Amino acid sequence: MRDVLVVGTGLSGLVAGLRCQEAGLSVTVVAKGVGSTHLAPGTIDVLGYDPELVEDPIEALPAFIQRNPQHPYAAIGATTMRDALAWFMQRFVGYRYAGGDGNLMLPTAIGAAKPSALVPETMAAGDLRNGGRIVFVGLRQLKDFWPAFAAQNTSAVKLPSEAGVTARAIQIEAQTGGEADVNGLAFARLFDDARFRRAVITQVSAQLEDDEVVAFPAVLGVQRPHEVWSELQDAFERPVFEVPSLPPSVPGMRLYDVLRTQFERAGGRTILGAEAVGAETDGSRVTAVQVSSAARVKPHPAKQFILASGGFGSGAVTMDSSWQVKEEIFGLHVAGVPAEAEERFGPHYFDEHPMGRAGIRVDESLRPLDAEGNRSYANVAVVGASLGGAAAWKEKSGDGISLSSGYRAAGVVIEESK
Amino acid sequence: MASVQTEVLVIGGGATGVGVAWDAATRGFQTILVERKDLAEGTTGRFHGLLHSGGRYAVKDRLAAEECIHENFILRRVAADTIEDTGGYFVSTPWDDDAFGDEFLRGCRDCGIPVEEITVAAALEEEPRLNPAISRVFTVPDAAIDSWKLVWACARATKEHGGRMLTYHRVLDIIKDADTVRGAKVRNELTGEEFDIHADFTINATGAWAGVIADMAGCPGVEVLAGKGIMIAMNHRLVNTVINRCTMPADGDILVPIRTVSVIGTTDIRIKAPDEPEVTRDEVDRMLDDGEKLVPGFRQARALRVWAGVRPLFKDAKAADSGDTRDVSRSHALLDHHQRDGMARFLTITGGKLTTFRMMAEETVDKMCEQLHDKRDCRTAIDPLPASKDGNFYSLGERLVKREETMHHDQLICECELIQRRKLEDVMAQRNSTILDDIRRSLRLGMGPCQGGFCMYRATGILHNVEQIDNNAANKSLHDFLQERWKGVQPILYGDQLRQARLDDWIFQGLLDVEHLPHNDLAEHDGQPHDDLAEHDGPSA
Repeated sequence: MRDVLVVGTGLSGLVAGLRCQEAGLSVTVVAKGVGSTHLAPGTIDVLGYDPELVEDPIEALPAFIQRNPQHPYAAIGATTMRDALAWFMQRFVGYRYAGGDGNLMLPTAIGAAKPSALVPETMAAGDLRNGGRIVFVGLRQLKDFWPAFAAQNTSAVKLPSEAGVTARAIQIEAQTGGEADVNGLAFARLFDDARFRRAVITQVSAQLEDDEVVAFPAVLGVQRPHEVWSELQDAFERPVFEVPSLPPSVPGMRLYDVLRTQFERAGGRTILGAEAVGAETDGSRVTAVQVSSAARVKPHPAKQFILASGGFGSGAVTMDSSWQVKEEIFGLHVAGVPAEAEERFGPHYFDEHPMGRAGIRVDESLRPLDAEGNRSYANVAVVGASLGGAAAWKEKSGDGISLSSGYRAAGVVIEESK
Repeated sequence: MASVQTEVLVIGGGATGVGVAWDAATRGFQTILVERKDLAEGTTGRFHGLLHSGGRYAVKDRLAAEECIHENFILRRVAADTIEDTGGYFVSTPWDDDAFGDEFLRGCRDCGIPVEEITVAAALEEEPRLNPAISRVFTVPDAAIDSWKLVWACARATKEHGGRMLTYHRVLDIIKDADTVRGAKVRNELTGEEFDIHADFTINATGAWAGVIADMAGCPGVEVLAGKGIMIAMNHRLVNTVINRCTMPADGDILVPIRTVSVIGTTDIRIKAPDEPEVTRDEVDRMLDDGEKLVPGFRQARALRVWAGVRPLFKDAKAADSGDTRDVSRSHALLDHHQRDGMARFLTITGGKLTTFRMMAEETVDKMCEQLHDKRDCRTAIDPLPASKDGNFYSLGERLVKREETMHHDQLICECELIQRRKLEDVMAQRNSTILDDIRRSLRLGMGPCQGGFCMYRATGILHNVEQIDNNAANKSLHDFLQERWKGVQPILYGDQLRQARLDDWIFQGLLDVEHLPHNDLAEHDGQPHDDLAEHDGPSA
């Protein structure tokens, strides 16, 4: 029997699994498939809006927690968040993460300035806080990046620092060989190839102006991103940065690869194509999770279970046409669902919706709570997107919740396993 | 102030108005059509897509049934390209009276509707998802019709005959002297420009809004009831044949396979104002229960989108008042305001249904010819619409075939609806519109399972490019489109579509952060005329 079974392999599951395994516990991760990393931009957004722009999330967290006692951050705490961020940064060598000096403000693929606490080194030069000139480079066969549109919006960005940004766009014709449609991942593989890079460098160099920083879509290599990015910076003799765009996310895949590789090197097991469908329990403890794989269901026993299966977006928490909400594996109570007769979603897309904070409520050890506020199971911890109480999209807090809850749950499990 | 002169002015850009314009233009009349929004933006674009065989009215409303089958045969010829020949079943479910089938059969035969009873086994073989507990099945020549394609085809034919379509032109007032209507004063909603259109003859084809225009012309008391019908588009074609309940017309008794989806409809609730009808949770629930009766497991299927259309039902002053608008005749009403109100050169055509739009137009233009003492023969039952000249019906695989041909030299912008970049760019340039929802009606952009999640960023980038608009205008287009999509998915967010919506949040809020675009005063413009687009041309005339 393994010490820990983690369900799900998005950011929270990867972090929880790796930290437990590093502490000497034996960990298995089961997941239906790769998780949210492949959809997410690869940045760690901790707290961006409250509802006004947050300049330093670490500084802002204690007051935020006080005002939002139901938020997952209240259970996790500001100190744990700080530790989690430091732990995360240490896991990335070679391809590093940058940050720590307040929220970086990175232009999105549409040219809005988005606040992130940590970002891959390949994105850091996009920080708009100090102003400057940017040239966005488009790749003609990539339909998921519109440099002129992004540049025009970026030029109009207004930041508290009042630093001015000027941006323009260029388009290059990359040699992709055939297809009119080349997606981000295919481009990333091309960038891993030195010959392809040289051709790009030649085309771009000729069009650069004096002090411009160079923005590429986030496709600068998937195997050797640090090498690709460094080479471009050296060739252009100026900073280069990546702008994430539509899924599949290349920076998200890199993050996944780094954490999963370390997890497996430390002795962890990952089983993909394995959907958790139910649980076996003994009183207040879960004894095994039933996993469906290769057309049969098999129990996976463990001492501790970490539920990192995601929220409504992954299908781990569902709502049917009769408005019945359900956590699919343990049948945990889902809090924050509006009553039968009340509105679920409001009429305006960008408003906060009544269902918006629905999810599983937990105590300080991230143990799930039932409707009465009592622990449902003593050896289950809930992490990531299934946690209730947050307006993750509005706050730009989703990555921060996943990272810190995964880190915290591992801490609890490690402590209890001693 | 500028003014324009024309022979015929048509008010209203739904199927009826566009049909009238098509008819008048092809008879050689100089024609202008004005529409306050986009063509087919109202009821025409908000229906289930059923080309009636007439079966639905065979027992209850003989006249309507006969009109339907007559027009059904004509449209199959002149508008073939907009029709998918799905065929239709009328099925007796356990909730329906078996004996009604006999009445139905008799009714169809009396009205000239080709009908045949087939065995339940044969029907289930064709449509395995149908409720196996059905007891009787009848086949009729129902079909699916793409109302947007139909309206564009009529508009194109009108233009080919020298007519003009002025979309986003609102009628501010009717120009008249003591006893004659002389045209209308209009405003270009995109530029704010106001001007007069002087017309020899004016036709009011504004559907549920007909009373408003008639009032402006000094013809009070035109009462058009608004009957709200909700429809839900289900992902995939749960059936490939139009399915009707074999019973007196009621709610939720039609399931129409159209394009890549199937649409269940509909309700009929009388509402006061025809603008922006809301969809309630109860209505959705009822529709799902009804769907379950036709196709077991309907509630587990994925709903993509819900909308409400408003039927214009002209009310005869003599008819008793009733809350159920289904009792008011589905047949149309042509009002001769000269006779009725002493106001010459002005007709109102309202009511009716999409299936009979051509006939309504013919009758209207005939009446106009009579009053102008200028008899000209109608051509619309004879000359096919531009894209229908080869007489081939639309088939589902058309776009896929084209996609496979151009895979190596054109990008796919909307994967759900197989829309290629060049086609999208062409339509954007042709329509000269910065409103993504207009582009949606032309191409079905963003109408598939992801409801614009992946294609909207791309389409906005292309719009920014093709239309040479600035970032503010592009941002507004995207913002408006997201809000428009939200309206239609919000009431059916459960199951897989809720999951999809969370992924779309991820893209628009987590990745792009559309909400914090610079100069974001977008919400303030909600529902207002597009003033900030003023420096750009409106849709082409």
